[in-house]
Amino acid sequence: MGQLPTTTSPESIPGTDLAAPGHQPAGDRPAAGGAELVLHRVRKQFADFAAVQATDLTVPAGEFFALLGPSGCGKTTTLRMVAGLETPTAGSIRIGGRDVTSLPSYKRPVNTVFQSYALFPHMTVKENVAFGLRRRRVRDWRGRTEEFLRLVELHHLADRRPAQLSGGQQQRVALARGLVNQPEILLLDEPLGALDMKLRRQMQSELKRIQAEVGLTFIHVTHDQEEAMSMADRMAVMNKGRIEQIGRPEDLYHLPRTAFVANFLGRSNLMAGTVTRGGGGTDPLLEVNASGHRLAVHRDRAVSTTGEVLVGIRPEKIHMRPAGARLDGATADGGVNRVAGTVTDVAFTGVSTEYRVEVPGLGELGVFAQNRGEDLMRPGDAVGLAWDAAHAFGLDGRQDAAAGDGAV
Amino acid sequence: MTSRVAGRSGRQAGFERAAALADGTAQARGRAGYGLVGPGLVYLLVFFVLPVFTLLATSLYVKPPGAEVGQFVPALEFGNYAVVLGGYWPELLRSFGFALLATVLCLVIGYPMAYLIAVRLRGRAFVQGLLLVLLIAPFFTSFVLRTQAWKQILADEGFLVQALKTLHLMPQGASLAATSVAVVAGLTYNFLPFMVLPIYANLQALDHRLLEAGRDLYGSDLTVFRTITLPISVPGVLAGTLLTFIPASGDFVNAAILGNNRNTTMIGQVIDSKFMRVLDYPGAAALSFILMVTILVLVTLYVRRFGTRDLV
Repeated sequence: MGQLPTTTSPESIPGTDLAAPGHQPAGDRPAAGGAELVLHRVRKQFADFAAVQATDLTVPAGEFFALLGPSGCGKTTTLRMVAGLETPTAGSIRIGGRDVTSLPSYKRPVNTVFQSYALFPHMTVKENVAFGLRRRRVRDWRGRTEEFLRLVELHHLADRRPAQLSGGQQQRVALARGLVNQPEILLLDEPLGALDMKLRRQMQSELKRIQAEVGLTFIHVTHDQEEAMSMADRMAVMNKGRIEQIGRPEDLYHLPRTAFVANFLGRSNLMAGTVTRGGGGTDPLLEVNASGHRLAVHRDRAVSTTGEVLVGIRPEKIHMRPAGARLDGATADGGVNRVAGTVTDVAFTGVSTEYRVEVPGLGELGVFAQNRGEDLMRPGDAVGLAWDAAHAFGLDGRQDAAAGDGAV
Repeated sequence: MTSRVAGRSGRQAGFERAAALADGTAQARGRAGYGLVGPGLVYLLVFFVLPVFTLLATSLYVKPPGAEVGQFVPALEFGNYAVVLGGYWPELLRSFGFALLATVLCLVIGYPMAYLIAVRLRGRAFVQGLLLVLLIAPFFTSFVLRTQAWKQILADEGFLVQALKTLHLMPQGASLAATSVAVVAGLTYNFLPFMVLPIYANLQALDHRLLEAGRDLYGSDLTVFRTITLPISVPGVLAGTLLTFIPASGDFVNAAILGNNRNTTMIGQVIDSKFMRVLDYPGAAALSFILMVTILVLVTLYVRRFGTRDLV
């Protein structure tokens, strides 16, 4: 495994040089800041199934955007349509305002970092990185190749064959091979999928740093929610060929709009109930009866405000105390968002402890407690749970409360 | 180790070998290994190495004065080589020329076939299978019979010649039968599968994603073929050309059936007639030996030039 830089001295950061005028040879495609990507009603139908249903998506120039979803959700197909490796069945794709829908991949200002890296085995590292530049007859291809090999800290291995490199090194060759062309958009198809956990975390910050340096639009496809949330400026969660929700990672996490997003992105307790108060009016708080429990949700945090709803609360937002003890931090409102239950399972994970608590009528709720030195609860302990209505969210009651649960 | 990387597998194998050596079972394993190659080695020794020495010895025999036809005595007559080389160098050269032409034609015809089956029809197993069966199907009839059939195809009154003449692609008085064109055509036809199959096997393993990566990196279809597909398929081409050229240069059936006895004679025919009809055993043996050594030299030069360390 090569040593990955955690810090890079300013003079070795080529990103600053890249923007310098006169650096790019004549006839080279300008790519400063990347370009905006717009998908309009893009659809992909394979013989027997719709891989991507009519999708609209706009990614502004220079953004680090993540497409997150379980395998088979259509995220890779979407990426491949942008790359020109698949033809959309319908819809249009614009890059920097130019319609590229009918352009073959080799004419698009886009490069891809493939999941398998797809490095050319018969070429050296240097030849791999220079491939795109030479096809476009960039005059200074030698200098640029050298420069980007330095960016990914592989210049000392320039004459090796891909087979002689470690996984992490191959990954960086693949990255340099795409970046060196300064495409308007760099597409990353699960680029870290083949790396082990520790290396993956390192490469995540590395990728983020490089993106900030080169300032290109990055579209990153992944099924790893932590990876998407920690790297992306904005992200889209995809499921069954559709985008479920788009937004900043923290917004998606704090206010999921579908049961799938609530379950796929982190974990959620979803409780089915009926709106009993505030449904038709302007009351900022909705009250929901869930099997006799009174739950409160802010109106502006609820997808539907009448009838059957799902009330959601993240496990770490729940306060838990032994039965009878005072619960603070929760809504003072008598009896709302307060339930009693019995601990059924305790999993100590170090930073926090994950509890399962059986609540009559609501089933098992998950509760994450930070380990700040309190005594752990034990299975069988009677506990009281409470949470702030401001943390709860309301979903359409017709959705499957288990959607996205355990999807990978 | 979660990542599956090509480079690592090799290194891992190295580690395993090292581990095997360390735990002492390697010696036993080594003995078992020799045991497994044993029968093959013995077979080669008895039916290849020893005959080669016999051949070499025979090539130096001389005919004693007054001996009957086919009667020779052991000697070290190196002059035999000068005699046969002086007498048959045109046939020897012609053999290599015909074999080279046939090899080039096989490559030109065979590479696209292999490419079509292995790359273009990837994922369509039925059509691939069908084409492969069609490619091999001629083997179900006899080599000699198929070559005889070419005689009919190239005959003056045959469809092909008539059509070419009608289209004025061939002069009226000309003929294909019993010409070097016919011999090379027969060689090309007969050895085509030996060219296609190794190239097919190689291209079949070609990672399709490399082609996508090439297109993604601004390579047109032609560029991707030239810079990725073709270089990666070199080992297949190398194997195919050797499997075609070597037997073709020693072939005598095609020249015997499709050629004439003026300007199409190949060295295989000469050796055949010396052994079987004239009973000039030393001459035939000397020619065989010359043929073998020449092929060996040519192949070595060729592999040195085109075969790279990690490809062959």
